[in-house]
Amino acid sequence: MADTPTLLTGETKAGDWRNYERVILPPIKDLHKIEVYEDHGGYDALRAVVKDGKFDPKGLTDEVKASGLRGRGGAGFSTGLKWSFMPPVDPEKPRYLCCNGDESEPGTFKDRQIFEYNPHLMIEGIVLACYAMTIKTCYLYIRGEYIDYVHHVQKAVDEAYAKGYVGKNVLGTDFSTDIVVHWGAGAYICGEETSLMNSLEGKRAYPRIKPPFPAQAGCWGMPTTINNVETLADVPLIVNRGAEWFASIGPEKHTGPVLYGISGHVNRPGVYEYPTGMLITDLLEIAGGARGGKRIKAVVPGGSSTPPLTWDMAEPATMDAETLREAGSSMGTAGLCFLDEDTDMVSFTRRIAHFYHHESCGQCTPCRDGTGWLEKLLTRIDEGEGYTRDLGLLLELCDQMEGRTVCALADAAAWPVRWGIRRFRDEFEAKCKAAAFAGASLGDGSALETGELTPTGTPTT
Amino acid sequence: MPQVFIDGQPYEFEEGGKLLQFCLDQGIEIPHFCYHPALSVPANCRQCQVKAGLPARDRATGELVTDENGLPVINYFPKPQTSCSLDLVDGMVVHTQYDSEEVAAIQADNLEMMLINHPLDCPICDQAGQCPLQNQAYKYGPEGSRFEFEKVHKPKRVQLGPNVVLDAERCINCTRCTRFTAEVTESHQLSIVNRGDKNYPMTAPGQILDDPYSMNVCDLCPVGALTEDYFRFKARVWEMSKTPSVSDFGAKGINVDYWVRDNQILRITPRANLDVNEYWMPDAARLVYERYNENRLQGARVNGAAVAWETAYDEAARVLKDADGSVLFLGSAWATVEDNYLLTKLADTVGGEVLGYIPYHEEGRGDGWLISDDRAPNAQGCERLGIRALDASLLQSKLAGASVLYVLDDDPVAAGVLSGADLEGVTVILHASHATNETLPHAAVAFPAAMCVETIGTYVNEAGRAQRLRPAKMIRSMNRSLMMAMGTGQSRIDRGGTPFDRWHDVTNKVDCLPGWTVIPELADRLGRPMHYKGPERVMDELAETNPAFTGATYPAMDLLGVALEDIGEPA
Repeated sequence: MADTPTLLTGETKAGDWRNYERVILPPIKDLHKIEVYEDHGGYDALRAVVKDGKFDPKGLTDEVKASGLRGRGGAGFSTGLKWSFMPPVDPEKPRYLCCNGDESEPGTFKDRQIFEYNPHLMIEGIVLACYAMTIKTCYLYIRGEYIDYVHHVQKAVDEAYAKGYVGKNVLGTDFSTDIVVHWGAGAYICGEETSLMNSLEGKRAYPRIKPPFPAQAGCWGMPTTINNVETLADVPLIVNRGAEWFASIGPEKHTGPVLYGISGHVNRPGVYEYPTGMLITDLLEIAGGARGGKRIKAVVPGGSSTPPLTWDMAEPATMDAETLREAGSSMGTAGLCFLDEDTDMVSFTRRIAHFYHHESCGQCTPCRDGTGWLEKLLTRIDEGEGYTRDLGLLLELCDQMEGRTVCALADAAAWPVRWGIRRFRDEFEAKCKAAAFAGASLGDGSALETGELTPTGTPTT
Repeated sequence: MPQVFIDGQPYEFEEGGKLLQFCLDQGIEIPHFCYHPALSVPANCRQCQVKAGLPARDRATGELVTDENGLPVINYFPKPQTSCSLDLVDGMVVHTQYDSEEVAAIQADNLEMMLINHPLDCPICDQAGQCPLQNQAYKYGPEGSRFEFEKVHKPKRVQLGPNVVLDAERCINCTRCTRFTAEVTESHQLSIVNRGDKNYPMTAPGQILDDPYSMNVCDLCPVGALTEDYFRFKARVWEMSKTPSVSDFGAKGINVDYWVRDNQILRITPRANLDVNEYWMPDAARLVYERYNENRLQGARVNGAAVAWETAYDEAARVLKDADGSVLFLGSAWATVEDNYLLTKLADTVGGEVLGYIPYHEEGRGDGWLISDDRAPNAQGCERLGIRALDASLLQSKLAGASVLYVLDDDPVAAGVLSGADLEGVTVILHASHATNETLPHAAVAFPAAMCVETIGTYVNEAGRAQRLRPAKMIRSMNRSLMMAMGTGQSRIDRGGTPFDRWHDVTNKVDCLPGWTVIPELADRLGRPMHYKGPERVMDELAETNPAFTGATYPAMDLLGVALEDIGEPA
């Protein structure tokens, strides 16, 4: 791949981002009220499509495909392509759309901005998506902790019903669709699409094995599409301004506006809307720079499960899927967490491991027991009781977990540990006792340090 | 036919199957815990992972792609696949742990994870010795553990219901139990609570596991987390011998294993027979185990006094001879086909009449599944021999003109077809299994009867399926037929029982005999000897001569029984 030009150019791919005008969260007061939303062109896209026939369902799907919109929930899969996986309409079979608002990844807090400030954009997007896939019911799944937003969004949905944008005969046409706001009971795993469906069905939120994929057998065994809140909020924008406009924002393969959730040791943490392909350094500048003038040591670019980048790795990287892959991480939900030089990476990794241990649903063996083991080892190291050989064991446990479970939670739990150790190994080693195995007499330690613990307790060399 | 290549060997398969079940059917063992053929496939234990791939095909032409040696190119799935959930596809290539070190390592890794929070209290665990986790950990697991922390603690000794006890720490969360209550009995009484390594199965708050089939979850449990209350700490499984036979609990003909130590039935578990009870049995059918051990009638009696068996034979033969034809016989829905058949022959010998069998059918008693309306196991066998359900009034009217009543394995007084007063002036010859038999005080001659766990014979269930009984425990005077059936085809006495128990102790051997031993003794004394070398030959004769039993030889019935021809409604 030597002739492949690197994407890590250190130059922004977001174009003239300093003059970027916000479209998902525009600076309009009281936009959550339906009148205000309507005054600013709200529901025009819906009217154009459903009533005036700007697109037929297939045309709308193709338009979304052409826009290059990729799912904003973490996996970054092409939205138009996902929609096209839905089987042809069978009048005997109901079909469902699930709008995934179970935003629970640590470091991710973008969807709630949409719930709070621009819920009608999402609602309009939902109805458009339902139109594109001929769906009569959408379940809007909002995480349990967001109870205030549940009420807030419910109010917006009620308003939209009252105005005829949702419900029977949308805008007086033959097209009808319902939106049901569902309040989750608060578990990270419910954000995984198949366990979201189980949770919705009233079952224990265990992820399902795939295949069958949701488009074949989703909610109650019926064809189902699951999209993230932000993804659906992009749809009216694509309809109003065209796929070309959307595709012109950000880098070619990962287009459109994105809500960056910036947290960590910065002066102004928060959600910022910018094009994809922003330099991580520019985002740091936007967020007011590092707190207390400190040096930033590491960045977690897309929510807690994405591998942390050292600052050297992050500096030339931009926020789009391809570049971040080359940089050694992934876009995830674009929830960046900046960590300054005072951060104890061991402690940070331990806290993330605690989260995944706590949130593992317990279905698959490697994840159920592996997440606990990771946390126990990291706790021991963090408390100064660990051994350097524990680092090797941690990496092996990551191997034993990754790719061996029903869903990706085990991978999500393993990545931060694996890449935390790989990229910040000296910090981990500094916290470890230089002994090969528990209870060993240290001696000079050099021969033992590389040894692994064998079942009989004697180190191999 | 489509083919799949497992460890380099081609196997033909029928469309629609999954890889794990196919491998098990071919005798290729792949370790697994959560998979059960009668339940849905959650693929949650992750133990059965294998490496699998499909032959590459050219996108344009659909032709198989070959390498420079002309061999098909295989596109392997990037991740290991759980074989339980993997659909068989033509040309699929599979590498199991036998072929691939990578797969063996994946399985060992998984077992290491599974064991870190498992208490490893095998020495005090009832499941030890028949534990899939124990067995598979030894076979496929790592040598030891690298886990150096305190294990997760969870509730222990939780009485989930009247019959089931939970030790949550041992649980590996395979969800077989919750799937059983959700999918098989649909009582939904168990579900997993909590998350991650803290989860375990539990009933809803304030609810108990009182499903009539609750103890099946103990059989399903691949570890010692769910145990049968009545059997906890009773015996180690390797101290017991396990005999495949049929339950006498109702007319379903539930296939069971009888677990015996020291000649006592300690436990009854279901044996898979997809045509009868699948993998299940009701709790009530297990809890009868004490019936085979307690209150048994021991030693032949004449007028209530214990006598030698020979004396009792002589006395019974004398009574039958003297009756001069006025003998009434009662067949039994509790006795085997063989015993009932010999009874009809004995009746012919003395010119008596087999009036019928006492019916135990009670409309609405059953549950439409494995608990039958009919409490007795062999009414259908009697019907097929031409013995009909007894009309109590007919019996009473006939009794007036009879001098002898011969009852096979039953209790007409307790069943309410006769009262003690009816039996005044009638000489009763009785085969009885229990000392509590209410007809026993009225019996002139009493022969203690071997029960279904001690005899050889055939029951025909209500669906017309003939199934074999095998002796699970010894009686006092073992004969050659019983010895042959109990041993491994040898008549050596030390083949009975396990090396650990006191099978040779006389204490728990009941002094009783099966009908097929007693009746020929009487026939001998009546001058019409029956020349059968044991019950197998009786059944051979029936299978040959009686169309209602065509094909029901012992080798044909073997472990799963033979579905007999429909003989229509009884005349």
